[in-house]
Amino acid sequence: MTVLAQPAARTLTITRRRRSVRAAVVTAALAVAVAALFVVTMMVGSFRLSAWEVIASVLHLEDNPSVDFVVRGLRLPTAASGLTVGLALGASGTIFQQLLRNPLASPDFVGISSGAGLAAVGGIVLLNLGGLAISGLALGGAVLAATLMYVLAWRDGVSGYRFILIGIGVAVFFDGLIGYVITRAQLSQARQAMHWLTGSVGQASDTELKALTAALIVLLPVAVLLQRPLRALELGDDTARALGIRTELSRAGLLATGVVLVALAVSVAGPIVFVALIAGPIANRLLGPATGGIIPPAPAGAVLLLPAALAAVHLMPTPLPTGVVTGAVGAPYLLWLLATTNRQGAGG
Amino acid sequence: MTRLRAEGLTLGYDDKNIVSNLDVTVLDGKVTAIVGANACGKSTLLRGLARLLAPRGGAVYLDGKSLTDLSTLDVAKVLGLLPQTPIAPDGITVADLVARGRYPHQGWFRRWTERDHTAVASALEATGTADLVDRPIRELSGGQRQRVWVAMALAQDTDLLLLDEPTTYLDINHQVELLRLLRKLNTEAGKTIVIVMHDLNLACRFCDHVIAMCDGSIVAEGAPTEVVTAELVEKVFGLACMVVPDPVAGTPMIVPA
Repeated sequence: MTVLAQPAARTLTITRRRRSVRAAVVTAALAVAVAALFVVTMMVGSFRLSAWEVIASVLHLEDNPSVDFVVRGLRLPTAASGLTVGLALGASGTIFQQLLRNPLASPDFVGISSGAGLAAVGGIVLLNLGGLAISGLALGGAVLAATLMYVLAWRDGVSGYRFILIGIGVAVFFDGLIGYVITRAQLSQARQAMHWLTGSVGQASDTELKALTAALIVLLPVAVLLQRPLRALELGDDTARALGIRTELSRAGLLATGVVLVALAVSVAGPIVFVALIAGPIANRLLGPATGGIIPPAPAGAVLLLPAALAAVHLMPTPLPTGVVTGAVGAPYLLWLLATTNRQGAGG
Repeated sequence: MTRLRAEGLTLGYDDKNIVSNLDVTVLDGKVTAIVGANACGKSTLLRGLARLLAPRGGAVYLDGKSLTDLSTLDVAKVLGLLPQTPIAPDGITVADLVARGRYPHQGWFRRWTERDHTAVASALEATGTADLVDRPIRELSGGQRQRVWVAMALAQDTDLLLLDEPTTYLDINHQVELLRLLRKLNTEAGKTIVIVMHDLNLACRFCDHVIAMCDGSIVAEGAPTEVVTAELVEKVFGLACMVVPDPVAGTPMIVPA
């Protein structure tokens, strides 16, 4: 190696320092925003509370039975569901997008949510189930759909493009079946199924919420470790292998993490659209391009979902499912994304 | 003593063998060019040597051990590869890309060290890309971009470096510039370099050793002045030509007849 020249070393130090400062500031700001939105979500409603009342009640600092009833009994489960589902969708979406090297490769589009939807709607309509059983079915459906796609896409390894195309095919197939199953349903079942399919943070039960929280506590640190191989995989399989990555093993680990996160999120709140699609790009815009993290998009997902959930409940005289609001915000973004990626020739 | 060699190597995709039963020795401390017509198996051979393709027969040996018995990470510390069409994530900057070359030297928890920093800075300096550190890759010219990829491979700090057609998409000036850089890395840092390339004249000019391939087998091998003849070019590329000494360096130069 040639003798180290000073200017290169110095510019490099400055660049790297600037980047790590920006990353720290953005991640901290996102975390603060999530915490603030989490509290605000519990302040608003027919019975208005101050920020202090909410914090004191959640942290058991004061005892005030009427406030505790509203906060811990009514609002905390919904807020916690918005928080955890947002974190899970944000992390999962960015894993898929970076791994498959395509901003459109969100779990919403590649069949995983559809698999969950088919299983859940089948449970509601054909088996007359409700509550926790539906969540279990949705979880199983998402995992099965992901496994099916992985097997179908396997050909000496799994390439991004084939996985996306097969995922879209699987999604269309499942959506067709969902439509068919709904035509066989009674009116009340059909309404229940449609409500589930739109997705709402308010429908979470305590058990589901605990499962998702536990999964996040385990999987977010795992995701931190997996950021390393992900950064190498972004450069293409040949380069990644030349850098010493066991590409198939890393990819399987990343996909499994992403699938479990999205499957649990969908089983808790139904398929809330667009959050997984937008969280990663928003975090990247804040951090600077190609920073390749999994962690910053997670709070970005929560920052998107919490206000959407709040708006869904309070904007209209009757509460809407959360998915209606995220869909209304996300659809224009999707159109913009489709238009601009094609123009740059970077659509995959 | 040679660090990288293949014995009876057979490689292929799907149900087709591309190269069969090849014996290859990569000379230590030399620059080797693998040349041949399109689809003659030269890139496949390079991929086999770099552990990107598992042998169907025979084996590749690195420091006496079969590549299949070594861990991917151990290979990556000794053997670097620049693929034909590497992918840069959208918007990635030069500093970030070159730093990713340090991957095999970093553990799960041990992150950025002084050694990583020095290696990246030296790689930027050696490739003349130090003033581009803040620039996104996609804003660079083809020649600059290729030098940045070489910088990433250099940051990996391997003794052996394999490059798959690094000059293909460059104009003549940038081709020469890149080959001069590789030559310099060989003489100054003692790196063993293997380049798959198309331009025979440049291969003769800048490489110590030429391996000429045709239909998946090696038809000639040796110093350019010894092996590059009109008969060989006719046989490998099907081109009738004259071979004359390069007026500057005296190496063989191919002139179509």
